Amino acid sequence: MVCIRKATMDDLLAMQACNLLCLPENYQMKYFFYHILSWPHLLHVAEDYNGRIVGYVLAKMEEESSECKGHITSLAVLRTHRKLGIATKLMTAAQTAMEQVFGAEYVSLHVRKSNRAAFNLYTETLGYKIHDVEAKYYADGEDAYDMRKQLKGKESHHHHHHHGGGCCSGDPRPMGARPESKSEAKAGTKAESKTG
Amino acid sequence: MASKFGLAGGIPERRVRPIWDAIDSRQFKNALKHSTSLLAKCPNSPYALALKSLILERMGKSDEALSVCLNAKDLLYKNDSLLMDDLTLSTLQIVFQRLDRLDLATGCYEYACSKFPSNLDLMMGLFNCYVREYSFVKQQQTAIKMYKLVGEERFLLWAVCSIQLQVFCGNGGEKLAMLAEGLLKKHVASHSLHEPEALIVYISILEQQARYGDALEILSGKLGSLLIIEVDKLRIQGKLLARSGDYATGADIYEKILELCPDDWECFLHYLGCLLEDGSSWSNGVHNDPINPQKSVDCKVSQLPDEVFHSRISTSLAFVKKLQADTSDDFIRCPYLAILEIERRKKLHGKGNDDDIVEALMLYFLKFGHLASFSSDVEAFLQVLTPDKKMEFLAKLMKTLDSPATVPTKALGQSITIFKIQELTGNLYKLPVLELESCAVQMVKMYCKSLPLSKDLDPQESMHGEELLSMVCNVLVQLFWRTRHLGYFIEAIMVLEFGLTIRRYIWQYKILLLHLYSHLGVISLAYEWYKSLDMKNILMETVSHHILPQMLVSPLWGDLNNLLKDYLKFMDDHFRESADLTFLAYRHRNYSKVIEFVQFKERLQRSNQYLVARVETSVLQLKQKADNIEEEEDVLKNLNSGVHFVELSNEIGSKTLTFNEDFHSRPWWTPTTEKNYLLGPFEGLSYCPKENLTKEREENVRRVVEKKSLLPRMIYLSIHSASASLKESVEENGSKSGSKISSELKFLLEHHAKMLGYSLSDAVEVVMGVSSGVKSFEAFGSDEIDWINFAVFLNAWNLNSHEPLQPDRDQCGRGIWHVVDTLLVKYISEKIKSMESLVCSPRVDLPILVQLVTEPLAWHGLVIQSCVRSSLPSGKKKKKGGSMDQHSSLVLNGVRDSIQSLCDILKEVAKWIRGQIDRPEDESVENILSSLRKKEQDEGPGRVFHVLESLIPSINEAEHGGRICQELKTWSALDVARKIVTGDSTLLSQFLNICESKIKSFQALKQQISSDIKCVLLNVFPLISRHFVPALGAAYDLELLPYLSATERVEWIVQALHRWTRSLP
Repeated sequence: MVCIRKATMDDLLAMQACNLLCLPENYQMKYFFYHILSWPHLLHVAEDYNGRIVGYVLAKMEEESSECKGHITSLAVLRTHRKLGIATKLMTAAQTAMEQVFGAEYVSLHVRKSNRAAFNLYTETLGYKIHDVEAKYYADGEDAYDMRKQLKGKESHHHHHHHGGGCCSGDPRPMGARPESKSEAKAGTKAESKTG
Repeated sequence: MASKFGLAGGIPERRVRPIWDAIDSRQFKNALKHSTSLLAKCPNSPYALALKSLILERMGKSDEALSVCLNAKDLLYKNDSLLMDDLTLSTLQIVFQRLDRLDLATGCYEYACSKFPSNLDLMMGLFNCYVREYSFVKQQQTAIKMYKLVGEERFLLWAVCSIQLQVFCGNGGEKLAMLAEGLLKKHVASHSLHEPEALIVYISILEQQARYGDALEILSGKLGSLLIIEVDKLRIQGKLLARSGDYATGADIYEKILELCPDDWECFLHYLGCLLEDGSSWSNGVHNDPINPQKSVDCKVSQLPDEVFHSRISTSLAFVKKLQADTSDDFIRCPYLAILEIERRKKLHGKGNDDDIVEALMLYFLKFGHLASFSSDVEAFLQVLTPDKKMEFLAKLMKTLDSPATVPTKALGQSITIFKIQELTGNLYKLPVLELESCAVQMVKMYCKSLPLSKDLDPQESMHGEELLSMVCNVLVQLFWRTRHLGYFIEAIMVLEFGLTIRRYIWQYKILLLHLYSHLGVISLAYEWYKSLDMKNILMETVSHHILPQMLVSPLWGDLNNLLKDYLKFMDDHFRESADLTFLAYRHRNYSKVIEFVQFKERLQRSNQYLVARVETSVLQLKQKADNIEEEEDVLKNLNSGVHFVELSNEIGSKTLTFNEDFHSRPWWTPTTEKNYLLGPFEGLSYCPKENLTKEREENVRRVVEKKSLLPRMIYLSIHSASASLKESVEENGSKSGSKISSELKFLLEHHAKMLGYSLSDAVEVVMGVSSGVKSFEAFGSDEIDWINFAVFLNAWNLNSHEPLQPDRDQCGRGIWHVVDTLLVKYISEKIKSMESLVCSPRVDLPILVQLVTEPLAWHGLVIQSCVRSSLPSGKKKKKGGSMDQHSSLVLNGVRDSIQSLCDILKEVAKWIRGQIDRPEDESVENILSSLRKKEQDEGPGRVFHVLESLIPSINEAEHGGRICQELKTWSALDVARKIVTGDSTLLSQFLNICESKIKSFQALKQQISSDIKCVLLNVFPLISRHFVPALGAAYDLELLPYLSATERVEWIVQALHRWTRSLP
């Protein structure tokens, strides 16, 4: 019934509504575009029987790292569809794609210290471990756990999709007037990203 | 690029670095200083100039920035010896783009590429310029050049992608798909493909040409291995097989997918489609709208012979049963719900029966009935049941309550589900008032009982039984609709406010409250709740429909302005910036996303709401400045005198509009922005499930935009018509522009009348009829504001028109001033009389009253201002030795009467508002609360509220947890009542301000006229005296012309008249 499928651009409308209904914060639309245009394989939605989007996961690959790692940016499931294992399925879909498409070695995420439900999901169901604590990570001053999970990495067939550049990024920007454009695209990353 | 940084435009990096650093840290003054010293050293460096223009642009000096940037561009063109480096060009590009001059940026790159035709970096830059301009053809040409230059697969795909864009978003035909296919085929033959997205694009091009077989062949060949995730490949395969009509193989593939993903509902539907040989779910134009999804799957009645149909159905049943057995996961619903879908198909084929469906529903309930998603899961299946069978199902559900689940949360979930099913089948609302009331009491008791279950939950977490209070609200509003007893309505408000006191994050309650307060007429509180939802970004497109329509007719102009401004800013920013993001997809080789992204931008650009917001923003400005004709003229000037909007009005009929609003979250009584059942009488319907009203909406939106976008132009023409009518009498040859205005205004009036469903002359008849009392206001229907606007503009046109309004009636032309005044006065006073105090009934007429004052009355006020300005020989419009002719004095008479009656009626409105505001607060609060004070056994409003209130004393930390205890201590019904009263005063005060400002403006006009009477006297007297009493005239000329001031002259005239009358026999 709940079909986990890759997100399309049109899903954005419902995804952001889902975000409103699930999370106290909201990220900029540009940030969503940055994800879907760069790593569409990692964005998944849970579509309920009647075609309604009831959850989504937003994830990305780290561009500026020598290691090949993925990052879960945001995960949300509608309250009416909680406790159905949807979050687990969404997370698994994103992690699988990180491994198989990009050959990621591990995946990280941030979670509010107070979000016990999400914390339990990550540690108990999905096997994440606390890597670090980031003080005042969220806009409202709350701390975040920096959590990580080891993936199988490059052993699977990492496809030939990237010729140059680092492991996970596309090739270097052809338009390199200033690195500024990237920091703009990522504006608000830290303050607004969340999982929960 | 880093390598280029070494020596950009011949300047060493160490000189440039401080400038960039200063820009990055937003120290623009500092950056400018560095730039000035750099320019002192290299005054003719295009790069140094480009940097300067970038800084100037950032400082907000757009004009200077443009001129410096153009200078840099000229130098770049002139100096061929300089290297055309990408850094200079891209800096220029940034500035030109920020100045909205993409064309200039493109020009630079085109020039550079013509100079250095084999420079790949420059070509990429040029490609990017075309991406920003959505020039798909030029994109394609540039990408092909790059492909030819270096032979890389990605450039070929850029070209193919640009071709696809021409097909999907431009007007490219089928031949283009063939061209794209040819390019790919050739490349595959020589180089194969290396990127999964390239393969997906290749397949989709074949699919577009209905070449499913070829696509399947490629997919199952070597290239297929590019798709790493197995199910992704299988899904494409299944779709291609089904579309090619090979249903048998398709079904096998879908079986495989379901074995891998047993919860994939869409896949199951495709599987069933294949088995029953029904291709409707794959055909083009399948309804696919994630915002307003269809409730059930479209399917054709199977054409298969009965025998085959039966065998296929049993195949599917067996497979689904196997899936059920194979999955141990308790969460997986698909294989269970699949049974229901199979039963539904059987019924559609005429082979099923309702009993089987009811049985399947019961089985599904026993397994998943406690889940919040249950009712939405089964909604479509309930719809195929007959009313009797629905009742039977309900009865069976009720029976399960005798032996509830042992886990309390599960038992609660099941009970809530049963209430929801009652709501969904409409049975709940068929109950008599008393039983319905008892039902609400039952729900709220259940809510109270379940509170301890949420004791340990985080504040962010949704509470158990939250939905109960939403359902209670729905029932109470239904009771209000039936009985018109406002107490129920207030009770609904209290229940939700109570719920939000316990947990302030429940958006469902907030949205319900927002609509309750809107209907009550306290829009200020509705807006408060809307703000607390914190809508941002794209949500403004999907969710602002909850508040925008009510705000458009409210006096809260400041808030409305913010709402519109934020929304338009978001949309316009997106249109400006989205092209830049497209390049991200090209760079990451996500070609299918490029196409989706461009299509998405078009979807937003065609948004009906965007169009409405643009028109309404202008109308709001016109309303805000209407008390001052000069300021209004500034607004009109910025709107290009309303010309563009007239074009919009003409085009709207042929425009494709998108409707992105999410209506799912709206309450039952107002399923769309156009409908509010509470405004009409109780119809004995439950409106559950909600109807699909998209078609109806579309027509309505077009009509509204078509009408509203004529307003600015009509206001503009009316102002000019009024002044031309008076100027013409003075300046004989000024009539040319006057007649042009007159004919255009007449044309628009005809258009306006047509939109109201009448010819111009018939519409005039209606207006006259209503004003004289021959016809009642009913004749205007719900378009009353449009009708009165029509009368206002008709009068303005008539002032300057030489055509009689109605040929067979004389005098009526002159009487049109009177008609407008009468209509306004009559209508406004009727509205004031009809409105009771807040505590008696919702103030549904308040928005109409606000509109009357801020729209037709305001536009009429502008006509008056224009007349006064042009007719009187004061100020800048002084007439040289002019005289007041009969026409002018007739107009002025109309003006004076008009001002008087409008002033009077506005004072009436102000008096009514003050009466409301000045009412003692405690009295109003007491009135609100008294409607709820009931003992539990009593019939009528208050029973539900009583349950909640009596919960408070029993709340304790041990049972309910510290957080709930703490929050509930702050609950006070008195505070809520007070909030309503204060909110009402806030709203009315804003309206009062508007009225007072209008009164002031009219009074000033009155004064101007009376002081200008002096001047009239000065002008008229010499004329009369020369004609009738030549001696007096001569004396006037001799004694006064050279010496006396205006005031002295008036005195002289009055005395002279006295002397003259005394000398008469």
